[in-house]
Amino acid sequence: MQNGDGRCPVPVLSFCDVSFHFCIQFLVTSLLAAMPALAADSALVRTLLAPPAEQAALIRGLLEAEDDRIRPTLEAWRTGEVFIHTGADGTRIPFLLDGEADASGARSAVAVADGAPLTGPDGRPLVLLSSSLTAIETNAVIRRAIRDISEVIGLSDPAPDVRKTAAERLGMTQRADYEPILELRLGREQNAGVRRALEDGLALIRLSHGSIEAKIEAIRVLEGSNHLGVVDQLKTLVAEGEKEGVTPEVIRAAQRTIISTERHFFWVNFFGTAFRGVSLGSVLLVTALGLAITYGLMGVINMAHGEIMVVGAYATFVTQNLFAGWFGADGALYDWYFVAALPVAFLSAGLVGLALERGVIRWLYRRPLESLLATWGVSLALQQGFRTIFGPANVQINSPAFLQGNVTWFDIAFTYNRIFVIGFAVVVVVGTWLLLTRTRFGLYIRAVTQNRAMASCMGVQAERVNMLTFAFGSGLAGLAGACLSQLGNVGPGLGQSHIVDCFMVVVAGGVGNIAGTVIAALGIGSIDQMLQPFLGAVMGKILVLVFIILFLQWKPGGLFPTRNRSLD
Amino acid sequence: MASGRRYAHTGRPSPSSLRINRPTHISMTTRFKSRFAAAALAAAAFISAPLTAQDTIKVGVLHSLSGTMAISETSLRDVLLFAFDEINAAGGVMGKKIEPVVVDGASDWPLFAEQAKKLLEQDKVAVVFGCWTSVSRKSVLPVFEQNNGLLFYPVQYEGEELSKNIFYTAEAVNQQATPGVDYLLGELGKKKFYLLGSDYVYPRTTNLVLKEYLTSKGIPAANIREVYTPFGHTDYQRIVAEIKQFAASGDAAVVSTLNGDTNVPFFRELANAGIDSADCPVISFSVSEDEFRGLPTKDLIGHLGAWSYFMSVDTPANTAFKNKFFAWLAKSTVPGIEKTGRVTNSPMVLSYGGVYLWKAAVEKAGSVEVDKVRAALIGASFDGPGGKLTVQANHHVTKNVYIGETLPNGQFKILKSYEQVYGEPFLKGTFK
Repeated sequence: MQNGDGRCPVPVLSFCDVSFHFCIQFLVTSLLAAMPALAADSALVRTLLAPPAEQAALIRGLLEAEDDRIRPTLEAWRTGEVFIHTGADGTRIPFLLDGEADASGARSAVAVADGAPLTGPDGRPLVLLSSSLTAIETNAVIRRAIRDISEVIGLSDPAPDVRKTAAERLGMTQRADYEPILELRLGREQNAGVRRALEDGLALIRLSHGSIEAKIEAIRVLEGSNHLGVVDQLKTLVAEGEKEGVTPEVIRAAQRTIISTERHFFWVNFFGTAFRGVSLGSVLLVTALGLAITYGLMGVINMAHGEIMVVGAYATFVTQNLFAGWFGADGALYDWYFVAALPVAFLSAGLVGLALERGVIRWLYRRPLESLLATWGVSLALQQGFRTIFGPANVQINSPAFLQGNVTWFDIAFTYNRIFVIGFAVVVVVGTWLLLTRTRFGLYIRAVTQNRAMASCMGVQAERVNMLTFAFGSGLAGLAGACLSQLGNVGPGLGQSHIVDCFMVVVAGGVGNIAGTVIAALGIGSIDQMLQPFLGAVMGKILVLVFIILFLQWKPGGLFPTRNRSLD
Repeated sequence: MASGRRYAHTGRPSPSSLRINRPTHISMTTRFKSRFAAAALAAAAFISAPLTAQDTIKVGVLHSLSGTMAISETSLRDVLLFAFDEINAAGGVMGKKIEPVVVDGASDWPLFAEQAKKLLEQDKVAVVFGCWTSVSRKSVLPVFEQNNGLLFYPVQYEGEELSKNIFYTAEAVNQQATPGVDYLLGELGKKKFYLLGSDYVYPRTTNLVLKEYLTSKGIPAANIREVYTPFGHTDYQRIVAEIKQFAASGDAAVVSTLNGDTNVPFFRELANAGIDSADCPVISFSVSEDEFRGLPTKDLIGHLGAWSYFMSVDTPANTAFKNKFFAWLAKSTVPGIEKTGRVTNSPMVLSYGGVYLWKAAVEKAGSVEVDKVRAALIGASFDGPGGKLTVQANHHVTKNVYIGETLPNGQFKILKSYEQVYGEPFLKGTFK
């Protein structure tokens, strides 16, 4: 078409024969070349202005118009970003907001029809704020049509992966309308993988709409393709098949498909559970690592650890708002706020930790009970502080685009935010380990931890080392807070909901041992995820606690007990 | 002794509560006195100030203004104060001004009972508007029954309860959950249901009723799954993976009774896993416009809600209500009140309607005495922002029910409305 490579982006008039189809297409192509975008856009504009009841049908009709703008415009419509401008003469013009946002977040209005900026009564370009406009409405039927159209357009995408996904998705709709379209594509497709997906898609559609012969043929095609969506249908067919005259051979094929699909999903769930266990373990690890330093190494029972995490989370929130102010919430740089937030969270939480150590904890180093009570008091004060500054309600932290969505592999959805947390945990643990074992500061930390008096005699400034160690542990908690802001809520109570888990991990791992913390976190995460399918989230969590109590009865020192000054 | 037995029965034995029915509250026990001495003094000083009992009627407001429920309940306090101001400006109730006594339940259920006792015994309020969670209602219920108080309860709940001292303006299960499921079954043609809830009395009872209802509609047990998560749960990975497989056949829906902020990690995970409302819509019974303020609305487009009011209800009554409420907010002097980004929702409108129903009954009875008002309330009606409310003999309220789907701006678009649905609290075992 416009890019002139001769492939057919969208099957037009799929009921007609191929040569006629090409004739039409040639005509349309030349028309489009002569009057760029006009024909397509008027169809698109007509669709946008139509009464809601007719819109879904018109969207499906857009298959016959071809324009690169259809897909993005429909997508913007789906997410509520197409608006209507009523001109001075009463004409209604659909438009989008485009370009860089100004200080108030307003952007210039651009007509859908020709991409030209809209002008107001005074002749100047309109600059509007999306929150002050009413978007063209959608409903479930319209959104479904928009998505299907996107998939149909995707069938002719240059990338085989996109074509393959589109074929799979259209097959999964099991709508008879798409049978001719898939057939047409199958006639042209060269890529073996995409052909297979198209055949499967056709079989899925025929399984629910075809004649009994077509269904039998579809079962043959689907054998071994592991579509979970058809298991229910196959089971019905097996149960009722004999009445309808299905041969035993076909029933056996259906049964084989059911068994192989179920076996496939057994392994999907097995590896899915393993991934989720590691991911939950990484969350536990990231949150507990700071405590492994302050409690594990230094022996300070810091009940305010959770609130120091919250400092990191609020630091992320503030950074996000600053970025939104500087670059606009739609700006290209906005998404990078999260990268900038990590050092900000580390430093701000570290500073709070430093102040806590200087102000409270350094007076209480050999008095664990007093430090428990004092830090508990500090945690209450910090919570109230968050309420006063940020309000009692949760604050909204948007995930940057690169942490949204997932990559699906082997039918398991690996979400980007979980993958990020796992990678982040690895980086933080390795970094901490390097710091403790490969630097002079780490040497001092270990020396002061193992024998404070002797370290002081050797000229180590024990007090300074304690201060910095505590600040470092708090900084790690701040990083954890930034991380948690991508997974759940950020509010004044966030710390309270994690503090027990943190202590659980550190105690189970063996106080004073980073390796123990790592193994305990991953172990607890995995056990939790393994138990959940059988027991549910509530009982699973209780049983994990019971396991840990029993484990500590058996090994009171945790996984890797160590001896240090705080425990002697 | 009767009262003692009742308290022991409800698992709340307390020395002070045994003496609760003594003739006057002046002879309180030392313990009771010490606990409330300061509060009582403050209240007495406040009460005996300029207005006398002759020209005001005291009414109680019992909501959590701090703690986890404050996010939702503070809005109810605001709308109640607005309703009182509105009534007072129009001449009050029977010519008397309403004098609100606001107390904080602090999201602490036993404290709710103590505060209720204080309102009824010390402040002698004529009526109380309050409670959000079912557990807070359950804990104040014996206090209201013993003191013959009057409580208006405005938030959707699980039913299976009927007290002569409580009027439930709230949605019963058949005014929210079953119409919502009807929409999924009928309009959307769904055949598989994933019932997901927070682990406490409201979701469990509602799902019990829903399972019976779905079975009566011919849904086989294999197509219904029931899952609970604790309050404050953040790890929805497994549940979302399960929903994805459950919904692979394209005819499944999630019925969510998740409460509070656990909705954020749930919907985030759902969006990240690529499940959108076209594949598998989620109908939530605890997410209203107010809860939306803390949710990523872009991830929620097209998911469903069922309430007896939406802010988007397009009637002159609703427009007037919203304008007046926002104008009142703008010039309100209540300390700490949020003035920007506010919305209205169903519990707020039902609280507001409750005040007017009570006013109508008081004026009909010509008295604020609980027994007379209770009798006058039956059959009372009020044309509210969400449509007409009529009190039934079973203390529930006939009202409209709306099914809406979420828009990117955090509002609901109304898809279907059921006119004047009769509230039926006892549904368990009725679907055969």
